[in-house]
Amino acid sequence: MTAIAAAPGRLAGPPLVTIIIALAAAAFAVLRLEPELVAISQQAPGYDIRQVVLLYSTLPRMATALLAGAALGLSGSLFQQVLRNPLASPTTLGVSAGANLSLALATLYMPGLLGFGRDLVALAGSAIAAGLVFLLGARRGFSPFSLVLSGLIISLWCGALSAVLVMLNDRWLASLFIWGAGSLSQQSWVIPLSLLPKVAMAGLLAWLIVRPLGLVELGEAGATALGVDTARLRLLAIIVAVALAAFVTSAVGVIGFIGLVAPIIARLSGARRSGSVLLWSALIGAALLWLADGVVQYLAGAFSDFLPTGAVTAVFGSPLLLLLLHRLKVRHRVLPEQGRILSRRLQASPGLTLAAIAGLALLVAAALLVGRAADGDWALLQPDLYIDILPLRFPRVLGALSAGAMLAIAGTILQRLTGNEMASPEVLGIGAGATIGVTVTIFIVASPGFGLQITSAAAGALAVLGLVVGFALRGGLLPERVLLAGIALSAMVDAVVGVLSSTGDPRAMFLLRWMSGSTYGMETSTALAVVAAAIVLVTAAASAHRWLDILPLGPAPAAGLGLSLPRSRLFLFALAGLASAAATLCVGPLSFIGLMGPHLARECGLLRARPQILGAALLGGGLMVVADWLGRTIIFPYQIPAGLVSALVGAPFLMLLMRRK
Amino acid sequence: MSAKSENMRVKGLSRRSLLSAAALGPLGLAAPARAASPAPVPKVASLDYGLASTLMNLGITPTAIVSLADWDKWVIEPEIPAGVTDLGNGWEINFEVLAMLKPDLILTTPYLDALKPRLETMGKVLRLEIYDASGGAVLSKAYAATRELAQAVDRVAEGDTFLARADVYFDDCRKRLALIGAPPVVLMGFLDARHARVYASPGLYDNVLSRIGVENAWKGQGNYWGFETIGIEDLARVTNPRARLIAFEPVPGDVLPKLAESPLWKALPISQPGRFSVIPGALMFGMVNDAMRFAHLLTEHLENTA
Repeated sequence: MTAIAAAPGRLAGPPLVTIIIALAAAAFAVLRLEPELVAISQQAPGYDIRQVVLLYSTLPRMATALLAGAALGLSGSLFQQVLRNPLASPTTLGVSAGANLSLALATLYMPGLLGFGRDLVALAGSAIAAGLVFLLGARRGFSPFSLVLSGLIISLWCGALSAVLVMLNDRWLASLFIWGAGSLSQQSWVIPLSLLPKVAMAGLLAWLIVRPLGLVELGEAGATALGVDTARLRLLAIIVAVALAAFVTSAVGVIGFIGLVAPIIARLSGARRSGSVLLWSALIGAALLWLADGVVQYLAGAFSDFLPTGAVTAVFGSPLLLLLLHRLKVRHRVLPEQGRILSRRLQASPGLTLAAIAGLALLVAAALLVGRAADGDWALLQPDLYIDILPLRFPRVLGALSAGAMLAIAGTILQRLTGNEMASPEVLGIGAGATIGVTVTIFIVASPGFGLQITSAAAGALAVLGLVVGFALRGGLLPERVLLAGIALSAMVDAVVGVLSSTGDPRAMFLLRWMSGSTYGMETSTALAVVAAAIVLVTAAASAHRWLDILPLGPAPAAGLGLSLPRSRLFLFALAGLASAAATLCVGPLSFIGLMGPHLARECGLLRARPQILGAALLGGGLMVVADWLGRTIIFPYQIPAGLVSALVGAPFLMLLMRRK
Repeated sequence: MSAKSENMRVKGLSRRSLLSAAALGPLGLAAPARAASPAPVPKVASLDYGLASTLMNLGITPTAIVSLADWDKWVIEPEIPAGVTDLGNGWEINFEVLAMLKPDLILTTPYLDALKPRLETMGKVLRLEIYDASGGAVLSKAYAATRELAQAVDRVAEGDTFLARADVYFDDCRKRLALIGAPPVVLMGFLDARHARVYASPGLYDNVLSRIGVENAWKGQGNYWGFETIGIEDLARVTNPRARLIAFEPVPGDVLPKLAESPLWKALPISQPGRFSVIPGALMFGMVNDAMRFAHLLTEHLENTA
């Protein structure tokens, strides 16, 4: 181990790491195979179902794990190198979300299409999603940031729509949960044999673009000077990476974490050049997934329960990421779009503020009074029904308004603090923490009441906030580490829900609904508390505007201006954490508003911190009110959670804004 | 709008005559015990399919039912007459609809305990336990819940008649199945071409199996809803050479063609022609009404393939 640490540049690390993981995987494989082999060898020759199971289930399953792991590692490594973003992974470009959505649609509305092949349907979905991402990215010259941002939006949009479909058809779409959670269970060699040539071909292509990719790593300018067409090279690399991920997701479902973790392990263990990072990412990915599946089957045997591998890889992939975090090289980035829109800047005048507030008030009134009657007809609420219906609508509208505003300011703070466009409250892991709290509670109490839910969510959110801040303090509060820690936690929550869902546990529906961000649970007392929290936190954020203006300039200028970096960062993180916790408690982890609010405010030309914070709060709150109203009325008497609607409505809106420029 | 509400009102008025005139299935499910009951008909909102189907068998059509839109997909029998209001999705009962309907009685289950405090502000609430974490035999809990429900809606005689009819029906199935020497069965629902739910102890299906004298060849233990999620290869664990595999509709479109290509599926003893079949579904998380439908479907099927 000291040798590796001393000479990380040489290739001593990656092979060692690969071998260790593979050995552990082999141990689990032997553990699983031994009783079967012994039993088979003792049998008289002739037909034995155990032999068939070994030949057509156990062995193809291992082959699938190795192939899928390699493909995902390769794909993730391509993404991370091309996008130069350590948060990039095969799911970042919306490939698996697109596939998931197309499968959900086909299952519900064109089951005949599935007869042609599930894989084809999923591939088509991922291709469309990736195509949309490219279309948006092309407008901005395939800059790494705009690609990741577009990918994230598409991914969230598809994810939200799939979630709506699943929720409205909970009993019918159980198979989508399994697919979404990535099960490697096999009954023939069809899947590994069809994966093999596809992965091999994509791997070969990746190998061919390795050298020019290395030049890209030197930096955009350097590569261009050496005559490399960076835009075309990036596009090619991304197509290969998307295809690899699509092959895997269409064959066995979403196994996302391997694609994120394998390249990171490869790089941390000492792989440096593009070629070796690619190679070792693939090998480490293969070994990792093999190990993960071995562990899953071992556990499944122990508990005699069904466990989907993809969800389990996330469960133990995320702590691994947490452990590795402190070795990750982090450099500060300046928000790229700053200053590009300066020309169309809105003047934050009192008149504008008044107009915005009046608009919001109108919106709230409309959300309260326009609705549906019991027979489903659209109707303005009649005065004689006020006493019955308004107490039901009022808390939801207020909750949506405050939660949207709080999420938007949390997003603004995080994006300014980290210089990362992907930053949002969910990424910080606060929503995940609250969900963990609720999850633990529903395992102890079968059906917790609203009060208990809120208490446990608060406990979870505060615990994660404490962990993240404590962790960040030790690491010097480097923004990207905080983000990655949050992502790891969110992935873990997703994984737990995935495992629950695919075992068909009814508690999964509860968690899914909770996570989808519904204002359904709001009552007058909680709504008023949330409003108070929103007023305090928005005011606090707006009064910290000087820090928020200076910090995005980078650590050096900030320190030059006499700012205490750790103290200001700690304060702002705590503020963002509290705002997201409060919002999560009442409407679930609605990360999309936290992502959208600040972007929309910036697109409107509100560039300085104070106008951006206030603008984001108004926009976020208003958007949430509209989303909640749509969710309550559009498929009446059924309801769609406001968080999902805001994603469905907000994403195309944001895309339009992006396209316009 | 006016035409629509007019229509609803007319249907609402004639609900009882519609009910007695409704075509009766082979089980006579939902046939009221007496043509007209002297007790007034209460406005009942049911937040559970099983409770709604039981209520119909007591001669009362619910005013509103949760997830009414999917009733025909999962419960099927008895048919719901027009004029019943949909309460929306099971997890997010539409409180606005409930507030406007002002029901006399709201039927709920432990599944929706989180909503109970708020339901109680909208009307009298009756919570009946059939599926909850305490476990136990579902069918006998369903009997007890039926009696409790009959008491609450003042239809005790109808409840007794209904349960007696169910007992007679189960006994009849038992005799018919004993006559043909019914084989052990594995009951499952396909999730996709690689995964399925198997219905195990202590579920409704499993309870009915022992009531009508058929062995459940799946020996695994299910959750308290009575099922277990498995990979198809796990079906190799079924070793009883007489066991039959019965899958319930709906089966996703690509499942059977994909399985036909799987060497493992083809090699499974239990999937051989004559041992594997697909039959229509009955609500697996239901009550006595649904238990009778299941017993009916299974008995007919086993007789036809004996």
